[in-house]
Amino acid sequence: MLRRPSERGAALSVADVIPFLARRLALAVATVLTVVTIAFVLGRATGEPGALLLPDNATQSDIDALNGALGFDRPLVVQYLDTLVGLVTGDFGDSYRLRESALGLVLERVPATVELAFWAFVIGLALAVAAALTIQLTGSRALRAVVGWAGAIRQSVPDFFFALLLVLVFSVLLGALPSLGRTSYASLVLPVATLATGQFVMYLRLLDSALSEQAGQDHVRTAIAQGQSRMRVLVTRMLPNAALPVLGMAGLNLGGLLGGTVVVEVVFAWPGLGKLLTDAVSQRDFPIVQAGLVFVALAFVVVNTAVDVLVHRVDTRTAAA
Amino acid sequence: MTAAPLVAVATPVVRRWRPRPGAVVGVLMLVVVVGLTAIVPLLPGRDPMAQDLRAALLPPFTDPAHPLGTDALGRDLLARIALASAVTLGMTLLIVVMNAVIGTTIGVLAGWAGGKLDAVVTWLSNVTLAMPVVLLLIAVCAVLRPSAGLTIVVLGCTWWVGYARVTRTVAASLRRQDFVVSPLTQGADTVWVLVRHIVPNVWPHTLIIAATDIATIVLITSSLEYLGLGVQPPVPSWGSMIFDGQRHLAGDPWLALLPGLVMFLAVAGAQFVSQQFTAETRGGLLRTGGMR
Repeated sequence: MLRRPSERGAALSVADVIPFLARRLALAVATVLTVVTIAFVLGRATGEPGALLLPDNATQSDIDALNGALGFDRPLVVQYLDTLVGLVTGDFGDSYRLRESALGLVLERVPATVELAFWAFVIGLALAVAAALTIQLTGSRALRAVVGWAGAIRQSVPDFFFALLLVLVFSVLLGALPSLGRTSYASLVLPVATLATGQFVMYLRLLDSALSEQAGQDHVRTAIAQGQSRMRVLVTRMLPNAALPVLGMAGLNLGGLLGGTVVVEVVFAWPGLGKLLTDAVSQRDFPIVQAGLVFVALAFVVVNTAVDVLVHRVDTRTAAA
Repeated sequence: MTAAPLVAVATPVVRRWRPRPGAVVGVLMLVVVVGLTAIVPLLPGRDPMAQDLRAALLPPFTDPAHPLGTDALGRDLLARIALASAVTLGMTLLIVVMNAVIGTTIGVLAGWAGGKLDAVVTWLSNVTLAMPVVLLLIAVCAVLRPSAGLTIVVLGCTWWVGYARVTRTVAASLRRQDFVVSPLTQGADTVWVLVRHIVPNVWPHTLIIAATDIATIVLITSSLEYLGLGVQPPVPSWGSMIFDGQRHLAGDPWLALLPGLVMFLAVAGAQFVSQQFTAETRGGLLRTGGMR
């Protein structure tokens, strides 16, 4: 009989987990360091900020003085080390334009972005599970074909254009929902719908192929032969096993979700991290760009590592890998 | 209601090659886009840059001189869509080819050599998988002066990890096969073995990833162009035309809808065709490929 995932996890000894955790942590640190380095190189690649910040008629000595005050006259190695120290202490310098802590400005915008990403993820995943279970329970080929074609069409449209279509129908033609800003719960609907449909298609594909694979397994056939109800077999036997690859992909897909959120925030003028970053980029406000990139990378790595550890705990087969 | 087939029944393998209906639809979609790109510039009087403010914002199908209407500056929409398609398709093909060549080369060498090179490539692809790549692309394209060339270089040099991961596995599994080992024991040149025996078995995998990648790359470049990063005005692109059209969404929605429709045809067409390629994998095209 198939043992429940929790039992298998419990059989794992601490000694097995530690090297895995160590490897995973090393990868996480390397990833964050890579992003910090890219952010640092980007910030320096465009020259020193003095000339950008001061009016056009500023003298060269004024520009030099400002660069000196901001620490840009020091050797590059010292500046890089300073950035790394800042990473640990959470000090990314002040925004050039707003003269406020860059990290503070970034953190201020995080709730709005998390709100979008969270609802898109939850709604997309819930609908995908419901649809995948319905397809398996009814065995309907027509349903699978319809959902499959709809999914293929949605995946052929980039987020920004799908968002525009939603705005055209629900804001312009029907006048039912707001198309800009973050003023009420109603303004959540269109951006979340844009992102959630994309999530839905992705997870439905993963779940459907994982469940279909489970349907051919011996333990499922045995359970059906024993006369257990389809619903029971589906929920207690197939779904836990099918959830594993989906869980593994969920962490990786977070990057795509964040990338999509950036564009969707621009379409809907949503005051989140993506809007802040794209605005900062066009205003050449590099401390914000750096703080934002590093924050996103950090969040991404933390979620990824957490998901990996979770999968590792649930599925002992990965322990050997 | 009929009983649900919870237990999968093994279907007999169809030997005869038969295109899936989706692939036929996909080819037709691509033919429309490529045909538009190729034929419109040949027609007389189709200048994508010529402005005519007296004929601004003409709706489609009203003026024979402008079959698809004009934009806010009175530029012919048909000519602009055709040029945008040519630009985006050209960029995409270039990017995909760059990625395929770089990724396959690195993957084959890593799988063949093993050891340190292999470890470095595996580590690199793990790090890339764990990064918000699209966000970094936005930052890089924006901080350095945005241009079509920059998009090509940045995307062309960074999106190869998928190719490297797959070709590495294939090359590593081929390395132990008899037809690779035996020429080596008889003193064959390593380069000769790589070119003669490894690459021919690896490139079908590259082709499959490339077919799938075309749609992804179009989606990414269009998103970058929507954000103003990529092809710069006055040269049109799908993304920038949709961005401009967004301002006229209430009165003249076709300004955004028409380029969007062409973009949809291109992406959906590429995806449907690539699904045919993926389906062929199970049909035996890659029997010698060594993918588990």
